Amino acid sequence: MATQDRSSYAEGFGQVSRTVGTVFRYLLLASTLFGIAVLAILLVYVANDAVQPLTADPGWHLTFFLTLVLPTLATAGYLAATNLEALKFGSMTIGLIVVSLLFSGGVAIIFIEVLAPLVWFAYVLAFAVPTVLMIALQRRSRQLSFLTRFVVVALAFYTSLFGLPGVVPSVAALVQSAPFVPLDWVLLTLTLGLFASAPTASYAAGIRDRRTGLGVGVLALAAVAASPFIGPPVFGIGTVPSVILASVTVVPTVAFVGGTAVTREHARIGILVPLLIVGGALAGEVLVDTLGYAGPQSWVDWQFLTSDHSGTAEDAGLYPAIAGSILLMVTVAALSFPVGVGAALYLEEYAPDNRITRFIDVNISNLAGVPSVVYGLLGLGLFVTQLGRPSGTIFVGGATLALLILPIVIISSREAIRSVPDEMRQASYGMGATKWQTVKNVILPRAFPGILTGTILALGRAIGETAPLIMIGAPNVLFSFPSELSSKVSAMPLQVYSWASYFATDAFYEKAVPAGVVILVTVLLAMNSIAIVLRNRYEQET
Amino acid sequence: MSQENMSNDNVESATEDPTDDDMILETDVAAGLEEGSETVRTARERSIVEANGINVWYNDEQALQDITMSVPENQVTAMIGPSGCGKSTFLRCINRMNDMIDAARVEGELYLGEKNVYDPDVDPVALRRRVGMVFQKPNPFPKSIYDNVAYGLKIQDIGGNHDEIVEESLKRAALWDEVKDQLDESGLDLSGGQQQRLCIARAIAPDPEVILMDEPASALDPVATSKIEDLIDELAEDYTVIIVTHNMQQAARISDKTAVFLTGGELVEFDDTKTIFENPEHERVEDYITGKFG
Repeated sequence: MATQDRSSYAEGFGQVSRTVGTVFRYLLLASTLFGIAVLAILLVYVANDAVQPLTADPGWHLTFFLTLVLPTLATAGYLAATNLEALKFGSMTIGLIVVSLLFSGGVAIIFIEVLAPLVWFAYVLAFAVPTVLMIALQRRSRQLSFLTRFVVVALAFYTSLFGLPGVVPSVAALVQSAPFVPLDWVLLTLTLGLFASAPTASYAAGIRDRRTGLGVGVLALAAVAASPFIGPPVFGIGTVPSVILASVTVVPTVAFVGGTAVTREHARIGILVPLLIVGGALAGEVLVDTLGYAGPQSWVDWQFLTSDHSGTAEDAGLYPAIAGSILLMVTVAALSFPVGVGAALYLEEYAPDNRITRFIDVNISNLAGVPSVVYGLLGLGLFVTQLGRPSGTIFVGGATLALLILPIVIISSREAIRSVPDEMRQASYGMGATKWQTVKNVILPRAFPGILTGTILALGRAIGETAPLIMIGAPNVLFSFPSELSSKVSAMPLQVYSWASYFATDAFYEKAVPAGVVILVTVLLAMNSIAIVLRNRYEQET
Repeated sequence: MSQENMSNDNVESATEDPTDDDMILETDVAAGLEEGSETVRTARERSIVEANGINVWYNDEQALQDITMSVPENQVTAMIGPSGCGKSTFLRCINRMNDMIDAARVEGELYLGEKNVYDPDVDPVALRRRVGMVFQKPNPFPKSIYDNVAYGLKIQDIGGNHDEIVEESLKRAALWDEVKDQLDESGLDLSGGQQQRLCIARAIAPDPEVILMDEPASALDPVATSKIEDLIDELAEDYTVIIVTHNMQQAARISDKTAVFLTGGELVEFDDTKTIFENPEHERVEDYITGKFG
């Protein structure tokens, strides 16, 4: 018996057909790649129009291939095979440099064109004074009741920012009317430089000890203070951009690289990647200059980034639209973040589970799906017609876009809050924490990266919106810079749209529009990459 | 069949463990001396938690039926029973964690010291500040080890030298030597057993009167479990520990008193651990302990 069975096994088990399964699998793959492929083709097409790489000499391509592409690829390939952590570190550094450079560009536009450093400094100081007072009062929380502290702090904030008319001038006004005004770069060093070096110092203190942290912080501040003396003669940029570049790009990048090099020796070698890229680009630039190879006649160039709109495509630029987009984003973030996170927190942690809550739940999801043009109509009706604000201003545009992304912010923040494990809440309540203490000490810190990720992605949606801005009457084309919340504003997608419609000559259509799209997409990708990095960090921790 | 044998063996070895018996005797003597004229027996009966007819419903389903028991001070009281018998529910009645569950309804009286915790004027948050709790799954906060231990001090606004209290609590939780150089590192980087001891340190830092433990070792390996058990033994010198456990051998090893809950939320028997394991009054308890069911 047994031997017979064995012999029938030896003949094999036969085959089971998997044809349908295989076909199904590749259909799934096709549907996965379909959208990505189509979008990629479009983007390559647009980028080709905007940058026009084929207009460059073959020698130019060859030079950069030899100095930049080949060494980078070889090193990256080697690292990918031997030391993945180092490669990750290297690409993070490059990403950080690119994103922080974009950021410094935005900050520089704001300080050069829109916000006078003195006004900025005045308001930072006006915020700092009552904040210090608040922290000092917090220390004495045992002696003073909450209400007393609250009233004192609220009064301090109000006085400091707005003053009591006729009695006490506000700190902001005092600073602005001071008889002696320091240079712009000094003011920026004292504000931006401090903002950059304080986290750097605490990061360094976390790695080593307090004294190291203090030393690193002082060093970072000194570097920012020294930048206006190095920037103009060496790189030919002004003192204000030098300070901004130093505090927004140089200090964070150096801190990240230094910190990683100290803590993760294994990954240290990854610094080669950014060094090769930067070095290769510089070497290639010098080489093509000396050899006389012409580069591509790109439409995305300094002139395009820094010019206003013009009737001729060759002179047209995106500068006011970039500034407008930045200002809109700041307004949108300031309006939608507190409201959205507040609503999410209430719905997740406080709201009773009843019919009204469920009704609100469902409708927030519905609101996220309402077409943006409807929100534009809402903004027009609410802010312009009902509240009588002038149309097309930063405030109206920002508020409309904030309404537009509010449901998305609420939904993603709720997701982040819900992902805080219930054990954490139990542990906190079990220790005798009140709801407020649990929310403040456990839930918010834990959910914050997720909330931030969701908000950045939502802002990414807002920055690309055109329809609501058209509805609220934002001007298509702007030659001057918005200087306050009530000035007219344009935005990048609106500018691109107007080039493609009202000014649709061939030159505009083939050159300025693709260039504008490339800038817009670059900004979007930068924002999304911040969100993705944050999300990865967050997932590693949990 | 084999399961029964195994359980029997374990119970025997546990009850034969001489250290456990000595512990009980020592406590008896100490308590007797303290109380002076009172007999040893009554001194041991001095209770800190007293339940009087506690009934709990989840929606319409009754989870606890008329529980009446008194938990003696500065001893380890174990609650054992099959899954779903309501032992955890009872534990959560003591610090009113059941208030968090919308569906739960509690009736009856439960005295902590002199005060009925279900009196309308009792603030459950204030109550929980006097009762520490350790959960089944180690649940340190994603904060530094120091901040984890100091959490109770911070939220309860307890003054004094926090550094000292943190060190003292970690020492009592037998964790200090392992973490004293990494107090700034995240509590989540510790191993499971260390995390649970961190949670115990966190629970004892504000100096509670009672420590509730809800199957504190069930998610841990045997080595970590035995560390936790040693720790519970030591904690009982200063605190009243009430521990829910699935593991009868564990109850036999570490507890002075044992309460047996059986299906339906009934407290079937509550007596000295020795009596429960060697000579239970009810046949059902004996069946459960010898592994005939449950």
